[in-house]
Amino acid sequence: MSMFDGLKFRNISSPIHRIDPRAKFIYVLTFFIIAVFFNQLIPLLILFFSQIPLIIIAKVKKEWLRLIKGSSFFATIIFIMNVISLYFYSGYSSLASIIEQASAMTVRFIVLVESFSIFFLTTSPDMLGLSLEQIGIPYEFCFAFTTAIRFVPILAEEAQTIIDAQRARGLELEGENFMKRIRNYVPILIPLIVNAIRRSLELAEAMESRAWGATEKRTTLYMLKMERRDYCLILISALMLVASLYAWLFIKIPTMTQILNIQG
Amino acid sequence: MAIIEARNLTYTYPYAESPAFKDVTLRIERGEFILLTGPSGCGKTTLCRCFNGLIPHFYGGKLEGEITVAGLRTIEHPIHEIAQHVGLVFQNPENQLFALTIEKDVAFGLENLGLPRDEMRRRVDWALKVTGIYDLKNRAPFEVFGGQQQRVAIASVLAMQPEVIVLDEPTSFLDPLSARNILGVINRLNKELGITIILVEHRLDLASRYANRVIVMNEGQIILDGEPRKVFLENEAALIGVGIPKVVRLYMLLKRAGLNIGRVPLSPEELSKSIMEALIFDRG
Ligand SMILES: Nc1ncnc2c1ncn2[C@@H]1O[C@H](COP(=O)(O)OP(=O)(O)OP(=O)(O)O)[C@@H](O)[C@H]1O
Ligand SMILES: [Mg+2]
Repeated sequence: MSMFDGLKFRNISSPIHRIDPRAKFIYVLTFFIIAVFFNQLIPLLILFFSQIPLIIIAKVKKEWLRLIKGSSFFATIIFIMNVISLYFYSGYSSLASIIEQASAMTVRFIVLVESFSIFFLTTSPDMLGLSLEQIGIPYEFCFAFTTAIRFVPILAEEAQTIIDAQRARGLELEGENFMKRIRNYVPILIPLIVNAIRRSLELAEAMESRAWGATEKRTTLYMLKMERRDYCLILISALMLVASLYAWLFIKIPTMTQILNIQG
Repeated sequence: MAIIEARNLTYTYPYAESPAFKDVTLRIERGEFILLTGPSGCGKTTLCRCFNGLIPHFYGGKLEGEITVAGLRTIEHPIHEIAQHVGLVFQNPENQLFALTIEKDVAFGLENLGLPRDEMRRRVDWALKVTGIYDLKNRAPFEVFGGQQQRVAIASVLAMQPEVIVLDEPTSFLDPLSARNILGVINRLNKELGITIILVEHRLDLASRYANRVIVMNEGQIILDGEPRKVFLENEAALIGVGIPKVVRLYMLLKRAGLNIGRVPLSPEELSKSIMEALIFDRG
């Protein structure tokens, strides 16, 4: 599905890719918080556009556009739901301000998607696993995480093979009856699960053969180290947070409707 | 001193009615290159699992008799300790690689052992170079093709610097060319680094030229054990369906037809050389 393709990591190199995942995560989280603070259209639009240079620097424009396109379905739903609920439940009289409010909520959603996609598009699962490990998450969980990522494409391929094989033997997957359709998926699920179990046993065997659990003090080939640019990014995030807190408290943000002087 | 010694070894899997192998006695010296073969289900994989302690520690079941590997009685030592002496390479490359880059996969065992980083770096680079995949080290293991994946698997046990490497049908998922290359790598580990090799293989045509000893199993027992040139001539080997190398079969046919070319050949090169010599001798 195109929406998830937007979250798939592609191994390229850019200044954004080189930032420590921990620092990048703090930055993304800051953006997230700021986007939740504001519910007016103008600051949310500013947030949205301020991220675009990062996407260009990171060379992930194509994936990002695909992601935005993929999320447009949800964005439309959010917009419509907001228009409807604002129309019925709030005192807004003008259609313009209802639309502005609904747009603001939609843009907020897109900003959230945008900031997380920057994180996932520019952080290799490997680095992510390593940073999980280094912030003190037990190694077993980190290992499970990276292994899951490694095996998702293989399992997907396997599922496709099984579907094709069962179809070739006459299994119908498109039927009228919903219950029947569900039942028809059983011949696909069972071999898939059996295979997955067999595979995990083989994996366990291979892990044991490579001295899994030999010592409590496991070492790693690589060690993530925060550098100056990473601390800078954290500092920038902190400043952004303070600035937006200030704006949120003390500045009266005009609405688009007021600026354009649309009469309600 | 033998590197692996098994005496009257019998093993039964949990819930199995009969043992997977019975009364196996075996002595393997340091530096040998052993080819282990036999029909499907005869217990080769099961025997390999005994060499690094997966049996009995991982599989459970009932192990009777004695087995020592590198001086350790496997029953008394955990797998991770034995794994530092015996590396096991499995059939399916896909299911023995975990990491998202090749070099991290090779480092996996060393990380588990808690080696210091510079030592780890050195060993990983060395193992990658020996197996000829140094240039691929930053690729993902699942991106490269089967033969290279199997090299990664070999590199990852090699990095742990074991004395013995056991390979269970490492070429069965590979095309003939990759298989030939992998067997070449395995041969170098044996001849250049002195690592004891136990290779389970059905492709005897390709593998037998490297081995100094062939062990044939059938129905849970060792039925033949000796030099390849002798073992392949035995009637029993042909009867249970061991894939006798074609060059040996040709040798036997020639002999039956009256042309004795002397030594039993193990490769086409050896065969053609002997035939040339025999013909020149005949004429002269
Ligand atoms: N995990 C297991 N649990 C129970 N029985 C097993 C298990 N693995 C193998 N066996 C049985 O043990 C016997 C020997 O099997 P093994 O896999 O060792 O044979 P093999 O010589 O490796 O065969 P192949 O050439 O097909 O790999 C077989 O009868 C098999 O059914
Ligand atoms: Mg086997």
